[in-house]
Amino acid sequence: MTRGNDDASLRTQAIRAPRAMLSDHALPWLLPLIAMLVVFAVFPFFYNIWLSMHEFVPKRRALEWVGGANWVKLFADGRLWGALGTTLLYTAICLVIQLVLGLGIALLLDSDDPGFGFLRGVLTLTLVIPPAITGMMFLLLEDAQFGVFTYALKSIGLLGGQSILGNPATALAGVMLADIWQWTPFMVLIFLAGLRAMPTEPFESAVIDGASAWQIFRRLTLPMLSKVIAIAVLIRGIDLFRTFDYVYVMTSGGPGTSTYTLSLYAWQQTFSFINWGYGATISLFSLFVILIVANVFVYLTKLRW
Amino acid sequence: MQNQTIHSNGYRVLRALAAWLVVAIFAFPIWYWFTIAFRVEREIFELPPLIFDFTFSGKSFEEVFGISLGGTSSSRPLAGGGNFYMLPRLWDSIIIAVFSTALAVTIATFAAYALSRMRFDGQHHFVFWVLSTRMMPPVAVAIPMFFIYKQFGLLDTYSGVIIVHALMNLPLAVLLLKSFFDDIPVEIDEAALIDGASRWLIFRRIVAPMAIGGVAATAVLCFIFSWTEFLFVLTLTQTGLKTVPVVSSTFVTSTGTAWGKMAALGVGAMVPAFIFILLVQKNLVRGLTLGSLKQ
Repeated sequence: MTRGNDDASLRTQAIRAPRAMLSDHALPWLLPLIAMLVVFAVFPFFYNIWLSMHEFVPKRRALEWVGGANWVKLFADGRLWGALGTTLLYTAICLVIQLVLGLGIALLLDSDDPGFGFLRGVLTLTLVIPPAITGMMFLLLEDAQFGVFTYALKSIGLLGGQSILGNPATALAGVMLADIWQWTPFMVLIFLAGLRAMPTEPFESAVIDGASAWQIFRRLTLPMLSKVIAIAVLIRGIDLFRTFDYVYVMTSGGPGTSTYTLSLYAWQQTFSFINWGYGATISLFSLFVILIVANVFVYLTKLRW
Repeated sequence: MQNQTIHSNGYRVLRALAAWLVVAIFAFPIWYWFTIAFRVEREIFELPPLIFDFTFSGKSFEEVFGISLGGTSSSRPLAGGGNFYMLPRLWDSIIIAVFSTALAVTIATFAAYALSRMRFDGQHHFVFWVLSTRMMPPVAVAIPMFFIYKQFGLLDTYSGVIIVHALMNLPLAVLLLKSFFDDIPVEIDEAALIDGASRWLIFRRIVAPMAIGGVAATAVLCFIFSWTEFLFVLTLTQTGLKTVPVVSSTFVTSTGTAWGKMAALGVGAMVPAFIFILLVQKNLVRGLTLGSLKQ
């Protein structure tokens, strides 16, 4: 059957499909998705709850019931609150920088002039590099002796005798740099998609009415882009909050505990200290925090699907 | 919204200059990494760092991929011999990325079609729930999976990693595909429904083919996220298989890091994913609004 004909003939006969015919059951279509998520997301969730009430006892090489002890331990654990602070700081700073840079670069690259397609292509290069390898790449760039960034900072007198990743004050910034470099282009792509989806008429009439570039951006582009910005912040925020690869590869949480994120702390409790129960408790705590923040965010931004 | 006004030539030149400068800054680490992969090893540790004038050497690349780059190097490729021979790991990565992408995109396409075309009670909450499965710290998913996989013999197998990677990509794939389906006028479905076509037929013959560009773009993103994933492969495999991100730690040895070879692996691993992303870039730039524009 050819689509064009159907469309045309139906329009002329002015027959509309009854509502009921459109609202058929979605369940069969969603079933594979639900099945996958139940097995691989709902089950792990309950498994973690179960695990958080147990702890591995090395002497007996078995998990033993500890009730709420892990949760009590969690609320008294200074390192956990430190990790939460680091994670929030990391998420907030990276998010703001990626958002602002991403928006700016998207506006800059949103042009059909020759060369811009090539530039957009080059920018996506950062996305195809595994974060673990990006971490190594920035480890070399920020190397205390041979790093290009270290060298550049030293030659303009900014770094003194210290290394970027070896100093608790700058180590987190050094890790964030890798994250910002890798994920700003992802934001650019999302915003470019948003910009391209906009109708051109409001902009044309604004120009005719003599609106300045800033007015157009502030009064037209930004409001029309608000939903896209909201979803970009949500998706990126979720991933930033769980960040693991960069810190694992670049600093392993150090120096001291200055770059411990919640994901890394949960990992360390689980695999280095074999505290499976406590590791699960940290993971659940992290999940609850992000769930609350995400819910509030979705409510405030009125995102609807 | 481009070309909204006719800009002066001076503005266009300035804008182009700014664009090239910004992209050059982002490209710099990749350029540097690229030169590390192709320079003689001792020049990695030169001060001031050599950025443009380095001595070319294909040795690292040859050792990692077992491919000869011609006469520039005297060493014969170590076909499968050396510790740093990584071609099989590239294959592992490709197999896992291809199959997990196929699985994720198939499941997500069905779901996204329903979410785009059939409104149901609690749809918003359902989508948020789908998204929330991405909020668990990866280690919290990896541990339970480790134990089930152990039970069912999926540990250290392709299938095991493929399933986890598909799961990890589902939320984003569903959102992305929904936004592509939303772009296709719903009147097309209505018309076909009146003609007596079933939902299935409409999906298979009309809407899915129309959204094929979006499906391809989604597939490429899934491929890249699987290609670059680190923690699940680290936890769920032992010796049977390893993907590129995980083996990168092989190059950190007790006698120092083999930067040249690691960079060679990184550069080699970039190529397939980058080709894919270039192929679908136009579609990506249309659909990456992740369903936020329509309700």
